[in-house]
Amino acid sequence: MSYLIYVVFTIGVLATLLLTVGANWSPHAAGMTMTLLGVLGYLAFKAEMAGRQLSELGRQLSELHRLQAAYDQLDQQTKLIIRTDLELHRTQEELDRRLASLMSLHQLGRQLEVSLRPDEVFSKLDAAVVTNFGFSKGAIGMCASLDAIQWCSLIGVSEPHAEALRAHLQASGLLKRVLTNPTPQVLRAIASLEPAQQRLLDLLQVPAAVIAGILPHSGPAGFLILGRTSAGAATSKADEELVAILTNHLAIAVENSALYEETWASRRELERKVQERTRELAEANAELVRLNKAKSDFVSSVSHELRTPLAAIKGYASLLASGQFGPLAKPQGERVAKMEKHADLLTQLITNLLDIARIESGRVTMERQPIPVEEFLNTIHDVIQPQLQAKHIRYTVDRDGVTALVGDPQHLPRVFINLLSNAIKYTPEKGAIRVGLKREGPSILATVSDTGCGIGPEDLQKLFQEFYRANDPINQQVRGTGLGLALVKRIVEAHQGRIAVTSERGKGSTFSVTLPAE
Amino acid sequence: MAPQVVAATVGWSANRQAGQAGTEAASSALEQLPPSAPTQLALVFGSSWFDQHALLQGVRSALGEIPLAGESTAGEITSEGPASHSCVVVLLAIDGLTCGVGMGRDADQSPRVAGQRAAFTALQAFRGTSRAGLLLFGDGMVTGHAEVVRGLQEVLGTSFLIAGGMAGDDLQFAETYQYCQGEVASRSVVGILLGGSVKLGVGLEHGFAPISKPRRITRANANVLLTLDRKPAASVYEEYFGVDVVRRMRDEGLNRAGIAYPIGIQGESANQWLLRNVVSFGDDGSLACNGEIREGAWLQLMIGSRELALEAAQRAARQAIRSLNRTACVLVFDSAVRRVLLGPHHAAVEIERIRDVVGPSVPIAGCYTYAEQAPFDAGLSADALTGQTIASQTGSVLVAAIGV
Repeated sequence: MSYLIYVVFTIGVLATLLLTVGANWSPHAAGMTMTLLGVLGYLAFKAEMAGRQLSELGRQLSELHRLQAAYDQLDQQTKLIIRTDLELHRTQEELDRRLASLMSLHQLGRQLEVSLRPDEVFSKLDAAVVTNFGFSKGAIGMCASLDAIQWCSLIGVSEPHAEALRAHLQASGLLKRVLTNPTPQVLRAIASLEPAQQRLLDLLQVPAAVIAGILPHSGPAGFLILGRTSAGAATSKADEELVAILTNHLAIAVENSALYEETWASRRELERKVQERTRELAEANAELVRLNKAKSDFVSSVSHELRTPLAAIKGYASLLASGQFGPLAKPQGERVAKMEKHADLLTQLITNLLDIARIESGRVTMERQPIPVEEFLNTIHDVIQPQLQAKHIRYTVDRDGVTALVGDPQHLPRVFINLLSNAIKYTPEKGAIRVGLKREGPSILATVSDTGCGIGPEDLQKLFQEFYRANDPINQQVRGTGLGLALVKRIVEAHQGRIAVTSERGKGSTFSVTLPAE
Repeated sequence: MAPQVVAATVGWSANRQAGQAGTEAASSALEQLPPSAPTQLALVFGSSWFDQHALLQGVRSALGEIPLAGESTAGEITSEGPASHSCVVVLLAIDGLTCGVGMGRDADQSPRVAGQRAAFTALQAFRGTSRAGLLLFGDGMVTGHAEVVRGLQEVLGTSFLIAGGMAGDDLQFAETYQYCQGEVASRSVVGILLGGSVKLGVGLEHGFAPISKPRRITRANANVLLTLDRKPAASVYEEYFGVDVVRRMRDEGLNRAGIAYPIGIQGESANQWLLRNVVSFGDDGSLACNGEIREGAWLQLMIGSRELALEAAQRAARQAIRSLNRTACVLVFDSAVRRVLLGPHHAAVEIERIRDVVGPSVPIAGCYTYAEQAPFDAGLSADALTGQTIASQTGSVLVAAIGV
C-alpha cells in the first residue's frame, strides 16, 4: 500500500516540476509549485496513515473473527457442560428423592411398630407420608374381601372419584389381580396399556401410577395406589422397589397388629380366668379358715368338756389305787394302774390339743424375752435326765457362744423337751444325742441330733401333721398322741421361727429350729 | 427508665391435625414471650397440606384478636432448619412497634388494584407516623407480581421499602393461600406495614451466574417469552438442554433442569439479573415464565451451584442486619427451587449459615416461596431508597430482619 503511495507521490512531484518548467519559471509559478508539492505531501502522508489504519482494522477484524469462533466454541462447550450437568442433576434428584423416601419409610416403620389395630396401620399412610415418598396422589383401601373396599386415606382424590375408582377396581377385575400378586404393578399412560388400567389412570388423573396389594400371610388386607401428577417420574424401578418395601412393611404391621390383638384378647381372657380362680381360692380359703376355727372351737370346747370327767376318772382311779376303798387284788391293781396311765395319756392329748387350738386361734401370745441359755438347758436336762440314764444315752451340748435365747419362757422349753423326748424314744441304748446352738445372722439355729433309727422319706413330709405317727416298730411299741411335733411346730411358728428335719433311716435324725435372735 | 422490650418468638408444630398444629405453634411462641410483653403482631407460615381454615382457627384460638398475617408454604423454616408439613408462628413484641395489615383480592385479574387495595387497607390500620417498610405476602401462582408492586408503590411511594415472599403449596402448583386476620384467601396479596420504633432491613441474593451467550429478547408479552434473536425462544432452550430434556420439561412442567438453569434478564446495570423460571412451553415455541419479561432486554441462561447458593444466603443475611442496632428476629423467604437445588442436607446448612451471620440468639423463621420481592439494591436502608426497582423473581433468598 505504502509503496503505491510513494509511486503516486513521486509521479505527482515529477508532474508538478514538468508543469512548472513548461509554464516558464516565475516566482508565482514557483509558489504555486511549492503549494502543490505541500498538498501532495500531505495527501501522501494521510494516505499512508489511512493505509496503516486499514491494515490495523483488517488485523482486528481477523482477531474478532477468531474471538467470535472461540466464543462460539465456548458456547458449544457450555452446552455440553449444561447437558452433562443436567444428567448429574437428574441423578442427584433421584438420589434426593430416594433418600427422602427411605427416611420417610424409616419414620413410618417406627410409627407402624406401635400400631395396635389394622385400621390404625392403614391410617398412618397419610398425605405427609405419600408426599414424602414423592407422590402427589394416593388411595389406600382396606378390603377384607373383593367386594368390601373401605377407603382409609385419599390424597388428592375426591370422594366422587374414589367411588368411581372403587367400582372400577371391582368390576374390571384389577383388584383381584392386585390382591393375588405380591409384586407392585407400574402403570404408564402408553398406547399398549390395557383399557382397564388406562381407565384407572384417568380416574386418578395421573399419567403414571403404582398399584400394589398389602398381603399378610393371613390373607389380603388392602391395597394402595400411588401416582404423580407430573409425567415420567413415577416410572422408575426405584418407585417399584419402594412401594414393594412399603407394602411389605404394611403387611407385617397388619400381621403384628392382628397378633397383638390376639395376644391382648388371650391376656384379657387369662387375666379374667386368674381373677376368677383367685376369687374361688379366696372363697375356699375363707371357708377353710372358717372350718378350721370351727374345728379349733370344737376341739377346744370338747377338750374342756372332757377334762372335767377325765379329772374325776383319774381321781377315782388314784383313790382306788391308794387302797382307800379297800385293798385291791393284783389283777384289779394292774387294771387300775392301766386306767391311770391311759387317763394321763388322754390328759396329755387333751392338753396338747387345747394348746394347738389356742395357738391357732391366736388366743395365746408368745412373749419375747431373753432366756439365759445355761439355765434353760439345765432345766431341760433335769427333766430328761432320768430317761437318758435309763438308756445310757450320751448327751452333749454345743452352745457355740450363744448365751441367750429370745422367746416365751413358758412355751419354748416345751419345744426342746418334746424334741429331746422324741430323740430319746427313738435312740437305742448307748446312743448319743447332741444339742447344738449357733448364731446365724439375725437368727439362732438350734439343732437336736440323735443316732436313732431315723425317719423314712415318706414320713418326713407328714411328720408335723396332727395325729400323724411314723410307721416304724418303735411307734408300734410306744404309745403317743401324735400331737407332739405338731405342737412344737405351732410354738416355733408362733415365735416367728421355722422348724425343719433331715433324716436318713438307720443313721439318725436332726431337727433344726431357727428362732429370731432379738 | 425500663429498658426497651425487643422480643420475638417462634413456635412450631408438626401435629397432623391442622387445628392442633396451629394452636400448638401459637401457644409455644406465646409461652416464650416475656410475661410483660404484649403481643403486637403474629406471622403465620403453614403447610398447604393442612386444612387452612382449621389451621388459622387453631392459631387464633391461642392468640386471640391480634393483627395476623401469613401464607401457605412450600416448606417451613425455623432456627433449627427446614421443615415440611408443619406450622410456624412468629410473635413480635417490640416497644413502640406500630403495624397495619391489609389485603387485596383478585391479584390474578387486576394485580395493580390488588396491590393498591392491600397498601390502602394496611395504611388505614396503621396508627403511627413513621413507617419502616412493608412485608408482602402474595399468591405464588400469580405471575403479575411486578404489577402488584406498582400498585403498592402508587399508594406508598416508589422509594418505600417493599419486600416479601409469595406463597407456595408444597410444589403441587395447584393453589396457594394467604392469611389476613381470620381470613384465608387465594389469588390475593397481604401487606404488613411496619413502623414506629422498628426498622426493617432486607437482603436479596440469588447466587446464580450467567453462563450462556447473551440473547436479545426480541418479542415478549407479559410473562411469555416469544422470540430471542428473532428465533422461537424454545429453540434456543433446546440448543442448550437438548431435545430430550426439553421434551421432558414440556411433560413434567417445572423440573430440576429449569430450576438449575433459570433465565436471567439483565437489569439496569451489568450485574443485575432478574431470575425467571420457565413454567410451561407454548405450541408456538414460546416460553411462559413465572414473572414479567421485558422486551428488548438481554437474556442469558444462569447457572447455580450449592456453594454459590450458600454464599448468597450469607450475603443476604449480612445485608439484612447491616442497618439494625438490635435484631429481634430474622424472616427468611427462600425460593422453593433453591431448596430442591440444595437438597435436604444443604438446605439445612443454608439456615445454619444464616444463623452464623445473625447470631444464635436471634430467632429465625420463614418459609419456602414461589417468588421473592425486594429492591434490587436491597442492602440499602429504607431512607436511602429513591425510586428503586423492586425485583420480583424466583430462585433467590430474601432475608428480612426486624429490629430497632
